[in-house]
Amino acid sequence: MAPRLYLTWLLRDSRGARGRLAFFVLCLAVGVAAVVAVAALADNLDQGLRKEAKGLLGADLAVSGRRPPPAAVAQAAARLPGARSCLLRELDTMSAAVAAPGKVPPSLLVELKAVCDGYPLYGRLTTEPSAPLSRLLGEDGAVAAPELLERLRLRVGDRLRVGEATFTLRAVLKNEPDRAVSPFTLGPRLLLGERGFARTRLEQFGSRIAYRLLVQLPGNASRPQVDAAAATLRAALGEAPWWRLQTWSQAQPELRNGLRRVERYLGLVALLSLLVGGIGVAQSVRAFLASRLDAVAVLKCLGVRPREAFALYLGQCLLLGLAGGVLGGFVGLVVQRNVPRLLGDLLPAQEIHFWQPGALLRGLVLGIAASLLFALPPLAAVLRVPPLRALRRSAEALPASRLARATTGVAVLAGTFGLAWAQAGEPGLALRFTGALVLAVALLALAGLGLRAAAVRLARLPRPLVLRHGAALLARPAGDALPALVAVGLGVLVVLVAALIERHLTASLDAELPKGSPSTFLVDVQPDQWPGVEALLRREGATAVESVPVVMARIAEIDGVPVEKLAPRRPGGSEEREQRARRRDQRGGQSGTARERNEENEDGERERPSEGERRWALTREQRLTYLPALPPDNRLVAGKLWSDPARHEVSLEEDYARELGVRLGSRLVFDVQGVPVEVAVTSLRAVDWRTFRINFFVVVEPGVLEEAPQSRLAAARLPSGRETQVQDLLAQRYPNVTLVDVRQVLAKVAAVFRRLGLGVRFLGGFVALAGVAILFGAVAASAVRRAREVALLKTLGFTRRGVAMLFAVEHALTGVVAGVLGVAGGAVIARQVVVEQMELQWRAFPGTLAAALAMAVVLTLVAGLAASARALRQRPIEALREERE
Amino acid sequence: MPASLPAAAATHRIELRGLTRRLPSGERLLTILDHVDLTIAAGEMVAVLGPSGSGKSTLLALMAGLDRPTEGEVLLDGEPLSGLSEDRLALLRRHKIGFVFQSFQLLGHLTALDNVALPLELLGRPSPRRRAEELLARVGLAERGHHYPVQLSGGEQQRVALARAFAARPPVLLADEPTGNLDRATGERVLAVLRELHDEGGTTSVLVTHDEEVAALADRRVYLRDGRVTHVEEARPTDERGLAVTLSTTT
Repeated sequence: MAPRLYLTWLLRDSRGARGRLAFFVLCLAVGVAAVVAVAALADNLDQGLRKEAKGLLGADLAVSGRRPPPAAVAQAAARLPGARSCLLRELDTMSAAVAAPGKVPPSLLVELKAVCDGYPLYGRLTTEPSAPLSRLLGEDGAVAAPELLERLRLRVGDRLRVGEATFTLRAVLKNEPDRAVSPFTLGPRLLLGERGFARTRLEQFGSRIAYRLLVQLPGNASRPQVDAAAATLRAALGEAPWWRLQTWSQAQPELRNGLRRVERYLGLVALLSLLVGGIGVAQSVRAFLASRLDAVAVLKCLGVRPREAFALYLGQCLLLGLAGGVLGGFVGLVVQRNVPRLLGDLLPAQEIHFWQPGALLRGLVLGIAASLLFALPPLAAVLRVPPLRALRRSAEALPASRLARATTGVAVLAGTFGLAWAQAGEPGLALRFTGALVLAVALLALAGLGLRAAAVRLARLPRPLVLRHGAALLARPAGDALPALVAVGLGVLVVLVAALIERHLTASLDAELPKGSPSTFLVDVQPDQWPGVEALLRREGATAVESVPVVMARIAEIDGVPVEKLAPRRPGGSEEREQRARRRDQRGGQSGTARERNEENEDGERERPSEGERRWALTREQRLTYLPALPPDNRLVAGKLWSDPARHEVSLEEDYARELGVRLGSRLVFDVQGVPVEVAVTSLRAVDWRTFRINFFVVVEPGVLEEAPQSRLAAARLPSGRETQVQDLLAQRYPNVTLVDVRQVLAKVAAVFRRLGLGVRFLGGFVALAGVAILFGAVAASAVRRAREVALLKTLGFTRRGVAMLFAVEHALTGVVAGVLGVAGGAVIARQVVVEQMELQWRAFPGTLAAALAMAVVLTLVAGLAASARALRQRPIEALREERE
Repeated sequence: MPASLPAAAATHRIELRGLTRRLPSGERLLTILDHVDLTIAAGEMVAVLGPSGSGKSTLLALMAGLDRPTEGEVLLDGEPLSGLSEDRLALLRRHKIGFVFQSFQLLGHLTALDNVALPLELLGRPSPRRRAEELLARVGLAERGHHYPVQLSGGEQQRVALARAFAARPPVLLADEPTGNLDRATGERVLAVLRELHDEGGTTSVLVTHDEEVAALADRRVYLRDGRVTHVEEARPTDERGLAVTLSTTT
């Protein structure tokens, strides 16, 4: 067939079926819109991060670590021709207002950053009033984020205390170029100068300062120049793996990797709506072809070859796929433009560009692929239409061979997997997604058959009449129930899973803390301060006061092998995992408290330790404690505690031991502030992190570390409402002690999860929408048959209302089954995530479940009745006349 | 007076040899056609007559390659159809066979004009729509080209179908109860057009019908009963009054 002729035929063949085909486009567009919205938003954020990369790192190169960078590095940086460098110190600490004598001033946990004179090297820092930062800070100036002023009730010009020094607040910080974008911040930013920071005396042994040496190369250094400078600095660092060297091209990798991970999961939810839309595509193609069977037979009689006829309808599906893709793409772009409003401050503040060609292309390709995938099985029937049908109406399409059916099935599965892979970016996740989907669809389909069987029985019951006939409608062969059931069921499932996970998170975070667990942690208490701090706590009504010594150390050797050999610096590869592990640790106030665990769970993954995780476990600054006996929430899983008098012993948390790759009997050497300490692993512990109590990965036998430089970590349960007062008192008397209010931190985490949950539910809404569209389409497609039914029933004496009641029973039954299955499936999946991955207590939330069920029934009922409206309105004679024709 | 149709480039002879078609019916095989031998000369018009279930439609389907015989052969101008693939058969129909159906079978989503132009487009003939307009004028429907089938009466639809069947000047025309769905007067008009087009095109035509009056139009009448040819009647040359006189032979 000539191409031009093909095109002409293509365009005119859809005449008279445009409504049905519009439904095809609509179903596809819903899914494509979801896919494009997710991809466009992710692209936007990534582009923003890439554009600002130098500003985000604040340098061409940065060396960071938990101890001041070695002198060799500073010298090497100074020797780089034309380079400038700047050392930053960051620390979470307390700050307090300065009040009249005799009064306790308000205090606040802040994220302190002490900066050099030339800061920032890149990017613009803006303040109000605007002035050069070095002049604002000087020796006794401070610049703070607006939140600090608000919370401490300060104004520019007021004084505030940090550590042992007081400062004048000179300006409000409006924009800080290299502020890490993270929803998890402990407090507002406070900037001090280098000399000012020295006055605070916060820099002492064991304090938790993060050091960052920023290096700026002259001119606009190219990537090779930066890499060359990086090599020089790396050489100066030597083998020490606990220093991290970053170049601007790797700025904010945590954030970018985090975004990528979120994009993957959201991308799969979006894909789900595309796949549900695909069911609608398959349906509309089937309905369209049913009206074209005679035409196909006649075309074959006229000499059109089977494959030409097939190509004709395949081409139409392609065109429709393109139309749906374009429509959905634009809707998706509009949606992504408005999503930042929904997610608020979760996203880095940046301009959202409407036009995202990459995302649009992804939507188009996925949309067309999905439409072909779902159109092919019904399209294959075109090949089998016998031309004889033009002569004998009764000539049925040839049944598909078993081989053809199997091939189609495999193709649909493989295609689904391929789409999932495209969205997830990795085959493993795609495989799990496909598997879960197949299972869900199989169960829903099975339920559909069960419903039919049940309806047959129900229809035989003597009464009530409406229920009996409604069931009979559902039980008829070729009912519309099955695809609608699958679509609505999946929609309910997705929305419910998102809602339940979110509810568990916020409930667990909002709920009163477990009985007896501490509500505050006190960090960096110097040993000689502890008696005074403890007395203060008790005076304020604190219970469950406990405190343990903390010794900072890092691993130097395992079984005689130096850690430099165990954790070689390797380019690429394990970067992401190391980043994640590093971030988890850096942001944790204290080693291994529940908070840290929660952040890990947020990633939803607990797998075998990767190389990056292992590297981080080996090289990080580790907090050690020494205890005569284990806390009650620890359980020995291997070995015996303090059982070998001949050696110094250590007890490790089992997951941490796995990360390190050590077992019972392994020999560890810790570098304790420069002194090697050798210990043997004689026991492994399991820790119940949910108690929120102080716990450590590494517990050393008493009698080993007593003389090492140390501080104390304390925990206490304060009467509700007293936290602020205690904090203010502590800040006044012990300014170096940092107090972390667990309830406040949890409230922040809860707010973040609520926002994220909203986003997922929003996308889940697309799946539900596609489900409703499909139901509507299925019912509308059977309009002629329904009209005939209505006509017959009315002829037999049913009122319009009565017939509507029958239809209502039919749709409500479908809705109930879809809802029950969706709710059951959603609860099972959510429970899995909540219990296995987040380690939270499962709660049923009957209200949420009931609401989901009600939603399913109401949506099905409304969509079904709306689609039957025309049939209901028609006069019987019209329907009967149509039938005769 | 509309332009007459030029003669077809080639005319074709249809031969049926021992043509047998059996269909499974429950446990048993039902014989629809039983060893039918028949030769239709090039340019001849033959009517196949018989009661319902005598196998006439199956005979037509076999001649068009829409169905395959259980035994025997159909030869179109000496070429057996049995060895041809579905694709080859489709091409054969495209180039050589025109079809008229009892239920007209116009494509509902196309106008009358587009329906007639269809076979021409399929063959890649130049200016198919102009030619289709001529053909519609030839069957007396010049004004109705832009109507859709549902907007036409049964007789009009069948005339459109005739225009479509003759559009590509096929050497063979197969008609299945062409007047079966039409009232008597309308049917007669349609038949007149059919005979005219046949004569002008020099086409080899096979008409399947149960109606003696329709069959009277043909050069020869073949009677089928229970899948067998019972007898064949030759038409006498038409006399001056225009009435066909027939001779009867029994096989």
